[in-house]
Amino acid sequence: MSLLRKIRDTGRVAEDAPPRPTENPPPAAQELGGSVQVRHIDAGSCNGCEIEIGSAFGPVYDAERYGARLVASPRHADVALVTGPVTRNMAEPLRRTVAAMPQPRLVVAVGDCALNCGEFAGGYGVEGPVADVVPVDLQVPGCPPRPEAIVAALRIVTGR
Amino acid sequence: MSAAGPAVVVAAGLAGVGALAGVFLPERWQPRLAPRRLRASVVGVCTAGLGAAGLVAGAAALGGARWSADLPGLLPLAGVHLAVDALSGLFMAVAGAVVLAVAVYGIGYAGHGTDARGVQAVLPVFALSLVLVPAAASVSSFLLLWELMAVTSLVLVLAEHRERASVREAGVWYAVMTHLGLVLLLAGLMLFAARAGGETFTVLRAGAGGMSPQARGTVFVLVSAAFASKAGMVPLHAWLPRAHPEAPSHVSALMSAAMVNLGAYGIVRVGFDLLGGGPRWWWLMVLGGGAVSAVYGILQAAMASDLKRLLAYSTSENLGLVFIGVGAAGMFADAGNQKLAALALTAALLHVVNHAAFKALLFCAAGSVLRATGLRDLDQLGGLRAKMPATAGLFTVGALGAVALPPGNGFVSEWLLLQSLIHGFAVPGVTTAIVLPLAVAAIALSAGLAAAVFVKALGVGFFARPRSDQAAAATESPPSMLAGMGLLAAGCAALALVPGVLGDGLSRAAAAAGVTGGTILSGGSLEVRLDRISTVLSPLWVAAALVAGVLAVSALTRLVSRRRRRTNARLWDCGGGAPTARMAYTATSFAEPLQRVFDDVLAPEQDVDVTPVRESAYLVERVRFQRRVPDRIEHRLYRPVLAALSGAGQAARRLAGGSVHLYLGYGFFGLVALLVALTVIQ
Repeated sequence: MSLLRKIRDTGRVAEDAPPRPTENPPPAAQELGGSVQVRHIDAGSCNGCEIEIGSAFGPVYDAERYGARLVASPRHADVALVTGPVTRNMAEPLRRTVAAMPQPRLVVAVGDCALNCGEFAGGYGVEGPVADVVPVDLQVPGCPPRPEAIVAALRIVTGR
Repeated sequence: MSAAGPAVVVAAGLAGVGALAGVFLPERWQPRLAPRRLRASVVGVCTAGLGAAGLVAGAAALGGARWSADLPGLLPLAGVHLAVDALSGLFMAVAGAVVLAVAVYGIGYAGHGTDARGVQAVLPVFALSLVLVPAAASVSSFLLLWELMAVTSLVLVLAEHRERASVREAGVWYAVMTHLGLVLLLAGLMLFAARAGGETFTVLRAGAGGMSPQARGTVFVLVSAAFASKAGMVPLHAWLPRAHPEAPSHVSALMSAAMVNLGAYGIVRVGFDLLGGGPRWWWLMVLGGGAVSAVYGILQAAMASDLKRLLAYSTSENLGLVFIGVGAAGMFADAGNQKLAALALTAALLHVVNHAAFKALLFCAAGSVLRATGLRDLDQLGGLRAKMPATAGLFTVGALGAVALPPGNGFVSEWLLLQSLIHGFAVPGVTTAIVLPLAVAAIALSAGLAAAVFVKALGVGFFARPRSDQAAAATESPPSMLAGMGLLAAGCAALALVPGVLGDGLSRAAAAAGVTGGTILSGGSLEVRLDRISTVLSPLWVAAALVAGVLAVSALTRLVSRRRRRTNARLWDCGGGAPTARMAYTATSFAEPLQRVFDDVLAPEQDVDVTPVRESAYLVERVRFQRRVPDRIEHRLYRPVLAALSGAGQAARRLAGGSVHLYLGYGFFGLVALLVALTVIQ
């Protein structure tokens, strides 16, 4: 009963849906038909972006209502959500993970580090930005990007 | 004139020729030019012919022919009496068919110490004894053939005694247990013959009615203990998981698929036919022993990582199921319900046939694996599907039969068995109301565990990647071995799809045992007809529906899927390095959850040995982990007895001090004591 009471007391915490992004979805996204399975890959991030991704899929921003869903294996995924500068150790696993996904597939680079290595550019253990390792379809800038921005990028893919 | 008589004569003749060939032929024909196995081939062909003759004789008897022969000159005093009716015909046909297929297999399997003169000479004799034991029609002939079977199989079990010390240990266990069984059998049958006033089965049958209930009960208990030990019933099973793995694989197949059946034959022959049925407690004993064996056997099989040991325990399980059927049949017959009794006995006899087919196939396939890799340990096998596709396919057919799921052949007889037990509630009484649900539960549990066991054997042994160099270097077996296994697989398939062809023969066999309940099976479908209930199962349609279902699902997924199928993707390895063989499930890890569930029953022994480095107790140099799942019954029941026996032996050594005077004294006092005793008794 306490759980039910808690649910009643809390009520709805999700923010109202912002207007649908106007950008055109990438061609690969059109085949997905509005339902997108997302695999998140940490290629060497400081975990700032992970916190924001966590909250993008949390109850407040609730990316799932737009058709995006986190899954546990690249075999099930349509979209790879890559964060962080790609470190040397993660370059090959990243390539393999993206290769393991079924086609059509998309890669979304999240955060400044994923776009241009950000703070870690030139580090001895850094291989380069994500685009150097796998082809990137969408970019979400920010250090870290706000959850709204991540949700907006996913909405471009889902088209909802 | 029936074909049974000439076929038995032909079988005996071929056994003689085979044995002589085994003794006198050289091992190889022109060793330098073409290294062909001359001896093994000739012996194999003779044995296969013998098996075919046995099959013909058995089939003729199943068709309704009867044949008997009295050969007074063959043995001093008693002579040899042989008689073939439908019940013996069934067991002769099963033994003959198994011998035929396994002999073909054995031609290619020879080698590994089985090429030797002694082994090859004994093989046809063992095969003949398997075919002839059910045909014996007097106590002396039966005991003679029974002992011939025990001794020849012992020689064959010991074939590889030079290679492994464990063979010798298994031989000792087998020799002791089989002869204890013989002693019980001898005592029981001699008591029976003395009370009935003659030793031929006709006289016994006639005399059984006049015996006191106590005498009949004693005979049945003695004889059924002996037969139960031959059939590997718990707790008399200890020899089985030792002798079957250590024997050469074609001998294991013969023992497991033809020899242990004779335990069931013995109970049916003596209990139903000769003693003419008995009170309920006889059959409760049989049923209870069967239920315990079924569950315990398959549980131990689930824990075994030795492929042949696993199959041996599964034999114990399947004979347990047969004994459940036999026990239930006896109970129903005692309650006067002949139809139910016929159903239960038919189910038991059909399970004997099914078990023989799939277990011979499984042991032969295990032999192929052993020949190709030298390994029996499932933990070290794996990846054989790619290296030995035919063997893997044949093993799959056998495993399908063993798991008792459609469309395997084991399913048909277990379904009949369950039908008989469930409809058995029609028999009034508290005992049936308590016992039958427990028996149904035991069958269900053993069937479920059997599925896990054979998923383990097939999945861990043949799929995934090879876990040792030997498994990686395996090659497919020669054609004669594949042909032998192919025959058995064809038998499995026929039994799975059209078991109805055996219908008339099985009801004749049940009628020969004195249970006349009419035909249970007919045509392609199985129809159970009781007083008010009738149930129909059509295995052919079940198989067709399964195939159609699988095809429909795979076609539908192709039709509905919108994306192209990718075939060039690399195996998903979590982005790390390639998966190694060490990551795959082993037999032990697969069985671990089951072992946890049945922890209290199995009582596994675990030993963790931590060795710290010398400088500090906190730094670990080496950790050794050991876990064994010993056979608990053997541990708790046999060890104390063996320890007590060896203690008594040690104590008795003090009597033999080496002094001649003492020994003369023993003789003198012994004689005096005997004379005194005789005077007192007189």
